[in-house]
Amino acid sequence: MLIGVVVLLLAACGALAFLWLQERKKNADFTAREAQTQDEMKRLQATQSQVIHTTKLASLGQMVAGVAHEINTPLGFVKSNVEVVGDLLDDYRKLVKLYDAAVQLCLQPVDLIFGADKAALDKLVKYVEEARRKLFEARANLESSSLLKDAKELLGDADDGLTQLASLVQNLKGFSRVDRDGMDSVDLNEGLDSALIIAQHQLRDRVKVVKHLQPLPKVRCMASQMNQVFLNLITNAAQAIDGEGTLTIESKPVGQTVEMSFADTGSGITDDVLPKIFDPFFTTKPVGEGTGLGLSIVHKIIKGHNGSVKVRTTPKKGSTFTITLPVDGPAAGTAAATANAA
Amino acid sequence: MAGGLRILLVDDEARILRALKALFRDYQTFETTNPLEAAALARQHDVDVVICDQRMPEKTGVDVLRDIKETHPRALRILLTGYSDLKAVIGSVNEGEVYRFVHKPWDNTELKELVGEAAVIAREAPVIARDVLPTHEHDRARAHVGVLVIEHDTTVQQRLREILQPYYKVNFANSAERALQIMEQQETGVVISETNAGRSDLTGLLKALKLHHPHIATVVLTERANAQTVIELINEGQVYRMLIKPVRMGTCRLSVDSAIGRYWQLKQNPQAARRYTAAAPPEGGPNSSLRLPAALLNRIRSLPGRLLGVAKL
Repeated sequence: MLIGVVVLLLAACGALAFLWLQERKKNADFTAREAQTQDEMKRLQATQSQVIHTTKLASLGQMVAGVAHEINTPLGFVKSNVEVVGDLLDDYRKLVKLYDAAVQLCLQPVDLIFGADKAALDKLVKYVEEARRKLFEARANLESSSLLKDAKELLGDADDGLTQLASLVQNLKGFSRVDRDGMDSVDLNEGLDSALIIAQHQLRDRVKVVKHLQPLPKVRCMASQMNQVFLNLITNAAQAIDGEGTLTIESKPVGQTVEMSFADTGSGITDDVLPKIFDPFFTTKPVGEGTGLGLSIVHKIIKGHNGSVKVRTTPKKGSTFTITLPVDGPAAGTAAATANAA
Repeated sequence: MAGGLRILLVDDEARILRALKALFRDYQTFETTNPLEAAALARQHDVDVVICDQRMPEKTGVDVLRDIKETHPRALRILLTGYSDLKAVIGSVNEGEVYRFVHKPWDNTELKELVGEAAVIAREAPVIARDVLPTHEHDRARAHVGVLVIEHDTTVQQRLREILQPYYKVNFANSAERALQIMEQQETGVVISETNAGRSDLTGLLKALKLHHPHIATVVLTERANAQTVIELINEGQVYRMLIKPVRMGTCRLSVDSAIGRYWQLKQNPQAARRYTAAAPPEGGPNSSLRLPAALLNRIRSLPGRLLGVAKL
């Protein structure tokens, strides 16, 4: 009996020891796995910051491509016109020279008149008549020449083109806000116009843009981040539209906030996708075409400014993104600097 | 067709039209900002050259030029664009069959020279209205004309073999060297080539081939084309078609069929080949030697006309 109890106790001890050993092993496993997880986290974070960097480069590339197109057209005619005007002026100088020659022709007989007899005078009259005819012709040519008018018109176009180029550069500067960073009082309608110019090459041939912009109070915000939000929403709308469509942009003041909406007639968002659209790295686009960061950046920036993003969508009809921002900007402490990832 | 040379200018930006009109003041010019009326104007005024913008709200330049190619094939077509996306570039080859692809801002002297040449060619060189031949003649051409494939990837080669072998007299080469050997031995009318074999660039070969033998039709295969490479292949290589890999049987056969038709007709009508003259590569640039060894270039130059079916132009 006693032996039986001892055996039982020993067995129990053995079992306990076994369990304890198991547990220790499990703990060791756990620690190892935790370390591994941390490693993976680090690697993921590194990748993430790399992707964010790549996204920045991609949107820079997109910007450059868009602006290149906008710049090359005015550059094309300005450059050509300036050269052509040079040629036109050369042509005009030739006309002036012909006129000068005709004037000379008219002046010559005056010297001869003084020592002239009757026969010589008759000859002279004929000569003068001919010289006068040439003079009139040369003058008429000068007067009817459209060279100067053409040159002036071309220079007018060139001047327009240069103004257009200057405003593009101004816009780019305004868009990236390289000259200032940090909080500012901003007219969001202006930022919107810059973003539209930058996104122009994606819209131009196929997406009609309808703007209903009401005058807005200035909003305290990080202007460059807001521009990024606009560009992302416009780009998304353009990509949602397959073929031709319309993008309607509205802005209006609502109490102490400003509301801006971007409505496209694109593919819309299906129910299974909708809950994930603001998740980082979520994308429905083929590999290489979207990073899945566009809307998550929008969300992060707007949150950082104490605002909100709402989406209303009907599959195959289109989506409307509405952002609401408080006029006084983010409350102290929650500074938009936290949204710096964008 | 008498009278001074006539040019049609199409751009949605009126100031570009005024600039070009002033630049071409020695020619008779017709302008429109509406791409929808371009084809009718080209026909109505029997123009020699069309200069057309790519990005316009109502219609793209490629579409305009394709229409003009159909309805007024005599005119040579130039696409003038501020920003070249790949789709437009490839469309300008396959659909618009453009003579040249020119960037904004353009160089006045170069553009004037280019248009002057194009207008003379449009006046003098006969037109090949349709590349597709009647069936019996196409069968004759197929039996006669060699199709040369330059491709180093064995899987793609195998795929092309399956598509082409049953229908054409086809040869395969995996390098420029081997390709030339084949061309020196038999009549080759169509060259199907990738842009590079392994690490060696084939675009130089394609350009040199077209420069010296403009009646050969080249079909270029590419995986991820770079717009600039394609533009160079248009201007300096007058490439006949661009095919994007993976190669699809239908498009591939269609392209080769019409390429054979083009070659066959140029063979009988060598003057028409002037319409497909490639531009000499820019002097002194990285392309000045076409990136080809002199020996290879000489062999291309002296490919026997007998084998190519036409006397050298």
